[in-house]
Amino acid sequence: MSLLAQQLVLAILLGGVYVAVAIGFSLVWGILNIINLSHGAFIVVGAYITWTLFGRLGLDPFLSLPIDAAALFALGYLLQRGLINRVIRAPVFFTLLLTFGVNLAIVNLLLAVFTSDFRSVTPPYAGSGIVLGPVVIPSIRLAAFAIALLLAALLSLLMRRTRIGAAIQAVASDRDAAQLVGIDLRHTYALTYGIGAACAGVAGGLLSTVQAISPTAGEPYTLQAFVVVVLGGLGSVTATVVGGLLFGLIEVFGQSAPGLGAGYANAIAFAVLVIVLIVRPQGLLGR
Amino acid sequence: MAEPLFSVRGVKAGYGETLVLHGVDLDVDTGELIALIGANGAGKSTLLGTLSGLVPPAAGSVRLAGRELAGARPEAIVAAGLAHVPQGRRLFGGLTVERNLLLGAYLRRDAEVRADVERVVGYFPALRDKLGRDAATLSGGEQQMVAIARGLMARPKVLMIDEPSLGLAPNLVDRVIDVCAEINRAGTAILLVEQDVLVALDFARRGYVLETGRIVLTGMAAELRNDDRVRKAYLGV
Repeated sequence: MSLLAQQLVLAILLGGVYVAVAIGFSLVWGILNIINLSHGAFIVVGAYITWTLFGRLGLDPFLSLPIDAAALFALGYLLQRGLINRVIRAPVFFTLLLTFGVNLAIVNLLLAVFTSDFRSVTPPYAGSGIVLGPVVIPSIRLAAFAIALLLAALLSLLMRRTRIGAAIQAVASDRDAAQLVGIDLRHTYALTYGIGAACAGVAGGLLSTVQAISPTAGEPYTLQAFVVVVLGGLGSVTATVVGGLLFGLIEVFGQSAPGLGAGYANAIAFAVLVIVLIVRPQGLLGR
Repeated sequence: MAEPLFSVRGVKAGYGETLVLHGVDLDVDTGELIALIGANGAGKSTLLGTLSGLVPPAAGSVRLAGRELAGARPEAIVAAGLAHVPQGRRLFGGLTVERNLLLGAYLRRDAEVRADVERVVGYFPALRDKLGRDAATLSGGEQQMVAIARGLMARPKVLMIDEPSLGLAPNLVDRVIDVCAEINRAGTAILLVEQDVLVALDFARRGYVLETGRIVLTGMAAELRNDDRVRKAYLGV
């Protein structure tokens, strides 16, 4: 019973991480119709920024999150405006290819700069936890969970309450009509991609506190983001939150099922993907 | 003669290699309501798209209040005072009516935007209790009202309205065109593209007839209504 409760807590906390991993990916896919294969690489860049600031300056990993967001926003904005925008109206295959290429470039750049060693960020409070009867809630994972949900809430607020959010949704709804009210399409595309990358940066900063990172660690994140978005459905922050939390539960309980183990993580993810695509292709909350 | 508020000279445009507009000349003066009529495929929507910057012009000049706009980006054209209510309403589905209207004022930074929502809703009282609804859930007539109201939110000098009566019930057609005339009387010049030629010429001061990408006939609305060619081609008499 206590084992089950402990697993449930860990699954929910893991789900929060998945929300952070997927939220920017979902935005970019939903608004720009780009399946961003460099999303995982953006996450890893965010993780390395946090790791560097922690190692060199002793900056608390949670305090470096705004820096991750700002740096990745700038990278995403420029990358979209300068490169990806050139194929924005091309079939989805071209953006897949291009973002895959961006992914390779970033991964190799990271390999050159940081080598392939695994790194981890271990602040003094890394091992601490809150004990609730038989259940231990790891402090860092709880904080990461809270920040992931805060990130989702902020993104939702941005979309629902601000002029930029209205412009982003207008562009997604009707590109021509958006231009007719005076929305600068190229700027809005780049802004959307930049915000998606900023979310990836925050996710990377969070992940660096709970997992070891390496330059090639990004690809599973892209897969996880893809599964979460397919599971929850495209088009809303809420759907991604539901998808992320559910995927956390599925993964933790899937791996502890008899005969399975941690080695089955990817298999479970792909199985979820296939089942959702067969049973409910628009996702749980998709339109 | 002073330059008219809005003047179009020799505008050519098309898609890829194919020209749709072969040199269009057209004027709209301050406070005028102008009807642009023509058969399906004559190039009316392409012309409006070119004027508002969605379709790049191959040649020609588009001047508004003394500024050259040909080849400018759509947002610069809206900012200069030319708004376009596109055919088929083209509202932002998933967003509320109110946010659709506020997006119409996207480029405005003045403090009167909120007050203007009230003002444009004043033209369409039916929208007042629907401001919080998803624009996509409105009826066709209500959507058309939102589309026109959204265009007005930019406070344009010239408002181009493409086929507002398309797909509307006859009583709604009159209502929508009535409001266009009311907006015009309040001081906004209007270029109205309308399939219902009789209605359009009833309300307009002057009219232009577009055929296969060229203006083939122009004159006062009353003259056009009695012109044999117009009667034969568009009024079916």
